[in-house]
Amino acid sequence: MQKILEYRGISKFFPGVRALDDISFKAEGGKVLALLGENGAGKSTLLKITSGDLKADEGQLMLNGEELRLSDPHAAIKAGISVIYQERQLFPSLSVMENIFSGELPKTKLGLYDKKKLYNDTKELIAKFGLNIDPQEKVGMLNVAYQQMVEIMKAYRRNSDVIAFDEPTAPLTDIEIKVLFNLIQELKKEGKVILYVSHRMNEIFEISDEIVVLKDGKFVGTYATAETSEPELIKAMVGRDIGDTYSGLSRNKNIGDVVLEVKNLKTAAIKDVSFKLHAGEILGFAGLVGAGRTETVRAIFGADAVLGGEIFLNGKAVQFKAPKDAISNGVLLCPEDRKEQGLVMWRSIKDNIAMPSIDKLSKFIFVDQKAVSALADKAVEDFSIKTPTVNKMVSELSGGNQQKVILGRWINDQVDTKVLILDEPTKGIDVGTKAEIYQLICDLANSGIAVILISSELTEVINLADNIVVMRNGRVTGTLAGAEATEESVLALAMLN
Amino acid sequence: MKKDNFVRKHILPLVHQKAFTLVCFLLVLVILFSVWSGIVGKKFFSTSTFINIFQSIVVTGFLCLGSACLLISGNVDLSTSTIGCFGGMVVAVCAKNGMPWYICILACFALCAVFGFVNGILVSKLRFPAFIATLGMTSVVKGLTYLFSAMGNDGVAANINYNVPVLGWLGRGKILTIPVGVYFLILFFVIYGILITKTRFGMKLKLIGGNPLAANLAGLNSSRTMIVMFINAAVLSGVAGIFNGARLGQGSLSALATNQFTGMTAAILGGISFGGGIGGMGGAFLGLLILNTFQVGMNVVGINPFWVSVFSGVLLLVALAVDFLQMQGKGKTNKRASKEGK
Repeated sequence: MQKILEYRGISKFFPGVRALDDISFKAEGGKVLALLGENGAGKSTLLKITSGDLKADEGQLMLNGEELRLSDPHAAIKAGISVIYQERQLFPSLSVMENIFSGELPKTKLGLYDKKKLYNDTKELIAKFGLNIDPQEKVGMLNVAYQQMVEIMKAYRRNSDVIAFDEPTAPLTDIEIKVLFNLIQELKKEGKVILYVSHRMNEIFEISDEIVVLKDGKFVGTYATAETSEPELIKAMVGRDIGDTYSGLSRNKNIGDVVLEVKNLKTAAIKDVSFKLHAGEILGFAGLVGAGRTETVRAIFGADAVLGGEIFLNGKAVQFKAPKDAISNGVLLCPEDRKEQGLVMWRSIKDNIAMPSIDKLSKFIFVDQKAVSALADKAVEDFSIKTPTVNKMVSELSGGNQQKVILGRWINDQVDTKVLILDEPTKGIDVGTKAEIYQLICDLANSGIAVILISSELTEVINLADNIVVMRNGRVTGTLAGAEATEESVLALAMLN
Repeated sequence: MKKDNFVRKHILPLVHQKAFTLVCFLLVLVILFSVWSGIVGKKFFSTSTFINIFQSIVVTGFLCLGSACLLISGNVDLSTSTIGCFGGMVVAVCAKNGMPWYICILACFALCAVFGFVNGILVSKLRFPAFIATLGMTSVVKGLTYLFSAMGNDGVAANINYNVPVLGWLGRGKILTIPVGVYFLILFFVIYGILITKTRFGMKLKLIGGNPLAANLAGLNSSRTMIVMFINAAVLSGVAGIFNGARLGQGSLSALATNQFTGMTAAILGGISFGGGIGGMGGAFLGLLILNTFQVGMNVVGINPFWVSVFSGVLLLVALAVDFLQMQGKGKTNKRASKEGK
């Protein structure tokens, strides 16, 4: 019997966001189906629903004609679905064989586990896949590629009908990718349903039989790999109407001198990153997750160690050892993860706003609480933060208002702002507040502040930025003028080899 | 109508404060033991009992102070009582060798500060979990205490007796029938209370304790503050060691025993969260009073001391459970919020 995994009208809502909207398609056994879409298109959410990590709010997931009700990942595994994530879910201190058979170790009559049988079964499995791994090796000692093979064998051993891969080739070299693809071919021959999520176009063309394109949580279409082309797919991924959000913004027209110049910046994660940033300019950074955008700004800000290259602020060479130095020089960062890196959640709005200015707001050793409150009150007014009082804890605010608290921290009388770096400033923020934040960003540029804008939403970068730096694998692959950039041209630089 | 307003404005906010709960709890304990002691024919509600309670909080009080500050900065130190024991021994060895009292005290502070500094470096720079680093330090300091006591004693580790008038006054002296140490303790609590609530250092401390990562990205020096707090806790342990030793006129090898846990219990009872960034000195002081009223009260009514230990432990577990449940409640909302973010 042919195995079929079917999504029927799957929808998933997060507050303010429709992550998945009525997704329906079928994946048939014996074929590799690739899922394609931009960051935030809904691929991960769909995979999480498949693996039982999330529950769909609407719709049904059918396997071989029966509806699945997955309460948790364990239920999905039992039902015959294995999802292999980028972050491997193995026990590094246990051996290969123990990992592959974890949960179902063969037992002897005494109830101890049967090491001999375990060894032989594992050896057989490894031979079947034509690999060269010692069953007794600790998984932590294997390289990333082999860890992934162990993960696949684990899924195979469970006799899963469906095996889904999430960006499996990201950490692999070309040869290892060959081995992986051979494995996938084996699984295909056995009639398993295979889902394959990747950003790498050339791989998708090599391994897949069908391609499903998602966009903004919606299903765009199914394409037969043999009959489609890269341009057609890219068009399908981005071709949406942008709406009026951006046309109403009052943009800055006067771009000034170079404020920040970065030359051949190098850290553990990035290489040879160079760009120039002007006063009043919004410089967008585009690229896939992990392309090195966040690492670049963290290095400039003094949060990560710099291994090479030069940074010039207003023509003077600078090297910030800690965020404190960058801040006193007017280079400021709103970090990518508000809750983990941006805010002290269980303290008040005013404490969070005054955080970098405590020394300036103090007389001798004592904090001038009136000055702190005045500073916070002004920020609440300037950024229209919705709160009855500045004494409220930031954890009680919505995401948009939390983001405004961070902006209020950097844009006030106590801080001399030259360069403002915004890392994913609108992540998880509802549409209305997003528009408000876009106008704030434009206003800041209007006032002469140089802005770096990192966003995984391409439309945001293209419509807000004066110039766009595109990164891939820790390097700058191109710089585009904002007016000329299209989603296709940015994506081409971000994804293609 | 007017009365209603008064209640809403002044009484209700008070009721919602943690301090109110603590004061009530303290009063309940006092009433409980007064009645109980009356039934068994003893007297709890008397000046001597309260002086006794205050006397008993001096040593743990200084440990509690150090632990409380450290907990607010998001850390924990298990080595405080051993460092205090070492500090007491330093004073004894110096005093026995005829050094003046102020040299004894300075030497004690300086050496304790070194241990605190090492703890701070291990935790903030080398990223050791505070539990592990300070547990290791406990053993190191314990050994050093024995070696140190044996130095002037033909290589045999032993308690060292001394007689220095100023130190004797610190340990056994009284002003208006209240032990001298109590005045020092209250003074210290007031100073630290002001430090935490009013100064820029205190404000930074709470922010760093609440989220060191965010504080660092906002330009605060998290690791330096943590090192300072570890040194602070170690020096306060030294103070505890000095008062403990001065009362007995002896540098004891077994001084302070496991008092670091008592100090922490008091701090957590007083509403200082294990998660960092939350709580104040007033709460810690109330926690200290509650714990010691509980223990002295149990003694007065004649409960077996072993049971007192059991009940004190239960009290700690209850305090920890309350803290844990509160943090978990927060964690849950936090998790939900971050899921929204995706």
